[in-house]
Amino acid sequence: MLRSIFAKTVRDQRRSLLWWGLGLVALTVVTVLYYPTIRDTPELNRMMENLPEGLRALIGGEADLLSAAGYLNSQLFSLMVPLLFLIYAIGLGAAAIAGEEERGKLDLLLAQPVGRRRLVLDTFAALATLLAALGVVLWLAVWTGARLVELPIGGGRLAAATASAALMALLFGTLALALGGATGRRSLALGVGAAVAAAGYVLNGMAPLVDALAPLRRLSPFYYAVGADPLRNGLEPAHVAVLMLSTAALLLLTLVAFDRRDIAV
Amino acid sequence: MTAAIRTEGLGKRYGRRLGLADLDLEVERGEVFGYLGPNGAGKTTTIRLLLDLIRPTAGRATVLGLDPRAQGIELRRRVGYLPGELALDERLTGGELLRYFANLRGGVDPHHVAALAERLDLDLGRPIRALSKGNKQKVGLIQAFMHRPELLILDEPTSGLDPLVQQEFQHLVLEAKAEGRSVFLSSHVLAEVERIADRVAILRGGRLAAVGGVGEIKAKARRRLEIQFGQPVPADAFAGLPGVREAVVAGDRGSFAVEGSVDALIKAAAGCAVLSLTSHEPDLEEVFLDYYRAENRGERHAA
Repeated sequence: MLRSIFAKTVRDQRRSLLWWGLGLVALTVVTVLYYPTIRDTPELNRMMENLPEGLRALIGGEADLLSAAGYLNSQLFSLMVPLLFLIYAIGLGAAAIAGEEERGKLDLLLAQPVGRRRLVLDTFAALATLLAALGVVLWLAVWTGARLVELPIGGGRLAAATASAALMALLFGTLALALGGATGRRSLALGVGAAVAAAGYVLNGMAPLVDALAPLRRLSPFYYAVGADPLRNGLEPAHVAVLMLSTAALLLLTLVAFDRRDIAV
Repeated sequence: MTAAIRTEGLGKRYGRRLGLADLDLEVERGEVFGYLGPNGAGKTTTIRLLLDLIRPTAGRATVLGLDPRAQGIELRRRVGYLPGELALDERLTGGELLRYFANLRGGVDPHHVAALAERLDLDLGRPIRALSKGNKQKVGLIQAFMHRPELLILDEPTSGLDPLVQQEFQHLVLEAKAEGRSVFLSSHVLAEVERIADRVAILRGGRLAAVGGVGEIKAKARRRLEIQFGQPVPADAFAGLPGVREAVVAGDRGSFAVEGSVDALIKAAAGCAVLSLTSHEPDLEEVFLDYYRAENRGERHAA
């Protein structure tokens, strides 16, 4: 596990990944096992339908809690899972370059015969790999739980929803990587990354309700991750492309910015 | 063969603050070069410029004939570096960290790593977080030496090392030199450089104050002499002698600071009864102080 910067970065995260995985499993299992209780309480659905549209939008926009997809969306995929993935990815992206630099560890690493681009690319690959691992854990947990309580959801659709959330998280993780790579400041990368994520979430939820904001919805990464409801409809290729291309653009920016500047002592 | 290190007008500004200005330096192959100066003089700035960790704002540098920016990977393959502020991955053991860097380099002989650890008396199996500062420094040293680089760039290499290990370190440097490799080491602990360096440069406030052989610099240095006379001598007997920069005479004791030759002072003293004479070998600390004084005088003249 010490063969490359990529392998070392993944290795460094193995313990944290374990805890994140356990947390995700606990959350999803409890959520999924609770489904029969909701399913047998139709009054909830009537209550949701009667909620003002604005309030409903804020809590994920899902009105139908009794269907499998409606339940999973409202409890996991419209907020909780993207949020957790985002926290994980932004934290990792900010720590990867800026965090190491602030602790003075880049000096010795970059005195080895490795280029700065290699460091950025390996770090990005590690970020993507770790997010993919988290996605697989989530998928397995939901899928297994769903089998236990007869929650009818297809593996493919579930994978689409998981992948959507993971792709958006990768975008934000790369944003944090870019900010950290360009400035060397971890807290700035964390703060700006989190602020952009929060703004994106609110924008996606509110835009449909406020005419003036409506066109801006397409600026929100959440729109491309959950807007087309991948749990019901599968992946929307255009939306996936937007997420991936923005990620690639940020990665390119990181490569250029990090290569140009001084490494702090 | 190209020089180990060559800089031409190399400079670095951090915004408005000067890090290094107009540095012209040439370090030959096979030489041990001491790079001296107090903290903040620009030693670390120079070293980090050579390794492409930071970029110059003026001038240029080549290391082993290579451009740090354009040929950085090749350059760093052939250079061993010890940072002044050593920050290691605390979660790994010393052995794991060295294996990691060896993997990134390729072609490192694990037996050589083990032999170095043996010589420096370092337990590679212990986690780095459990190591003392001196033992962490040993990990850094092994890391710099393990691939037998053509050029070693060591920033304050002996900080935290106990005297025995310092000695072993000096052997490592002299062995590298004997094998024709070059060593560039910075220090503000002057005694260690004095013993192993062929030439030294003195840096002050981001500027080069002097370069020369250790002997040459010492010859210019100020030497302290104490003379015990047989009877009280007049207080002004030694004033204004060539080379004598300081003459304090109290009764039958005199204390002098002399630059260069002590000939004039000795001849003047010979006129009195001299019971004893003590001469302190100048060390580079004194040289340092002289350069500071010279600079201060210059500033006063300028004002």
